[in-house]
Amino acid sequence: MTVSLDYRLFDVGAARIAVASSLDAFRRHLDTVYPHQEVLDGSAFADVRMSLLPQSAWRLHTRQVELWSEGQRPFEPYPANSALPLFEWGSNWLLAQRLNAYLLLHAGVVARDDKALILPAEPGSGKSTLTCALHLAGWRFLSDEFGVIDPESDEVLPMLKPAALKNQSIEVIGARPGAVIGPVFPKTRKGDVAHFVPDRRSFEARHRRAQPRLIVFPRYRSGAPLRSRRVPAAQAALRVGLNSFNYQVLGPVGFGITTRLAQSVRAHELVYGDLDEAVAHIETLFRDAG
Amino acid sequence: MTNHASTSDIADVPLLLMGLRTPLAIDEARWERLLRIGRLTGLHGRLAARNLLHPELPPPVRRHLLSSARVAAFRSQMLRAELFHLAPLCRNDFPVILLKGSAYVLQRRRMAEGRFASDIDLLVPREQLRVMEDRLKAAGWQAQKLDAYDERYYRDWSHETPPLRYPGRTLEVDLHHAITPVTGRRAFDPATLFNRSQPIPGTPFYALCAEDQVLHACLHCFNDGDLELRVREVVDIDGLVREYADRPGFWDRLGQRATELRLERPLWYGLHYAHKWLACPVPGSAVAALKQPPALHRRLMDMLVPMTMLPPSPDHPPALKVKCARVLMLARHHLLRMPPHMLAPHLTRKSLRRMRAHLRGNVEAGSA
Repeated sequence: MTVSLDYRLFDVGAARIAVASSLDAFRRHLDTVYPHQEVLDGSAFADVRMSLLPQSAWRLHTRQVELWSEGQRPFEPYPANSALPLFEWGSNWLLAQRLNAYLLLHAGVVARDDKALILPAEPGSGKSTLTCALHLAGWRFLSDEFGVIDPESDEVLPMLKPAALKNQSIEVIGARPGAVIGPVFPKTRKGDVAHFVPDRRSFEARHRRAQPRLIVFPRYRSGAPLRSRRVPAAQAALRVGLNSFNYQVLGPVGFGITTRLAQSVRAHELVYGDLDEAVAHIETLFRDAG
Repeated sequence: MTNHASTSDIADVPLLLMGLRTPLAIDEARWERLLRIGRLTGLHGRLAARNLLHPELPPPVRRHLLSSARVAAFRSQMLRAELFHLAPLCRNDFPVILLKGSAYVLQRRRMAEGRFASDIDLLVPREQLRVMEDRLKAAGWQAQKLDAYDERYYRDWSHETPPLRYPGRTLEVDLHHAITPVTGRRAFDPATLFNRSQPIPGTPFYALCAEDQVLHACLHCFNDGDLELRVREVVDIDGLVREYADRPGFWDRLGQRATELRLERPLWYGLHYAHKWLACPVPGSAVAALKQPPALHRRLMDMLVPMTMLPPSPDHPPALKVKCARVLMLARHHLLRMPPHMLAPHLTRKSLRRMRAHLRGNVEAGSA
């Protein structure tokens, strides 16, 4: 009765995402931003399963793409050539609804020797830029959008999705040696967007958890001199909760994990205008935290 | 029903419904399909309530059930918090009845486990509606801004006031003076609902009596909506019936109340589908005592109800026949809600307004 769709499965560490699409360009874009993903059985368990389909064929003059999940269309359609940003954004949104087994921070996470640096931040604070810069400076990439923390072990789980860089960050990161960035999607709802691809080593370590060692709340300000200050534990716990997608939904579990985290891990606030200076300062903070 | 060996040849939807009552032993891929149709119908919280403690759950499945259980617990907590704020507004001068979910939660019904609460429905005597509305507003609840037409629709034709919300909180409070639209075919005087209502111990609120709760659930399921994916309402009916079935005299009283309030038809459908889909323990004599819907109606409903209420394949946009069935059921809903001479202008007005909004939207998008 129903034709089974040809799903492609992405194992990004903390979650598995299955997507089916008839759009060739989108499939090529996926190859570009998930270059290390081996072929998996598309019918195996996925946390999120969706299809990206062109909107009804007779609207040829304004070709749009729709994201369908569970027989429903949770978002407005995107222009047909922006399927990848829709996939990335839509899968993040769906994961945020469903991964309440974990505390989900809006944070970048990188690690050295399985010791994690967590960068919780509000949108526009330069979190993605800093995460990518740290990765290019030798840190293992764990995630950009989601800091995934398991309240049963207090460990950080990697979520190896490409990092969505916006506007000027695309050039700033693109100019650094070793940076791999997918196609630029100009003028999306969030401005120009391009996806930074984490290296193979990080991708292959996507099931290796890390212990939190340091929290840094970054804030980029154009031209600002570097300023760093220690954040007291109580304040850090609150700020971690505020930067979480699901702190409230987790109830007492959320309170427990944020307070444990803030008590066991040092937190700093970092205002920066120069990316290299920020990276160097974080190296020092991280060394001293151990 | 606890036999796990035979589950592989049960289709997804019956298996989901079975999983609401019995822990399932199935593989990951099967679980994923069940979780998906569970989300689609809002039943995943209940699936979690019954299955989460099963020791052999595959880890990813356990994570999803845990996630759903946490969301349900959070929403239930929000509901309790809102009721806590509403409690001081009940002042012994008239009963404030909690309808549906809020009552199930405060009455500690087993069926409330994992049930997602959406809003709070209060029922007060019609002559006290204004008093209660003013109390809510004086305490800080605010009505959503409506245009004059919608405002009048609610006031004159509906059975509730426009939804109220306390700024910064998520749950809506709907204030009802009846449980049927006043213009609808099944309208009745709600006075006896109050006479038979019962206080909820430890709270200032009241709940409908057992029989009226079942009748309201049936009415709400089959007469107060478009039925789209609303199998969870049948799950409510099933849950209530299982709760009350063994009380002495329950079935006789239920039949009598249905006759008194002229709600035999919705009750018949409610029991019919609860029995058919969820093996609800309905005695044959209880159904036989009810006046059956005409054969043609039954055949039509048996064709359309599963198509609209049960989840379709989650892989694809809904099929054309499902869309058609939904349109037909929506038409049925409207006709039950108001007579054709009122309905025609109402729908014309609504669709004109939607077209205008659509055109405005396009203009904005075009100029951006």
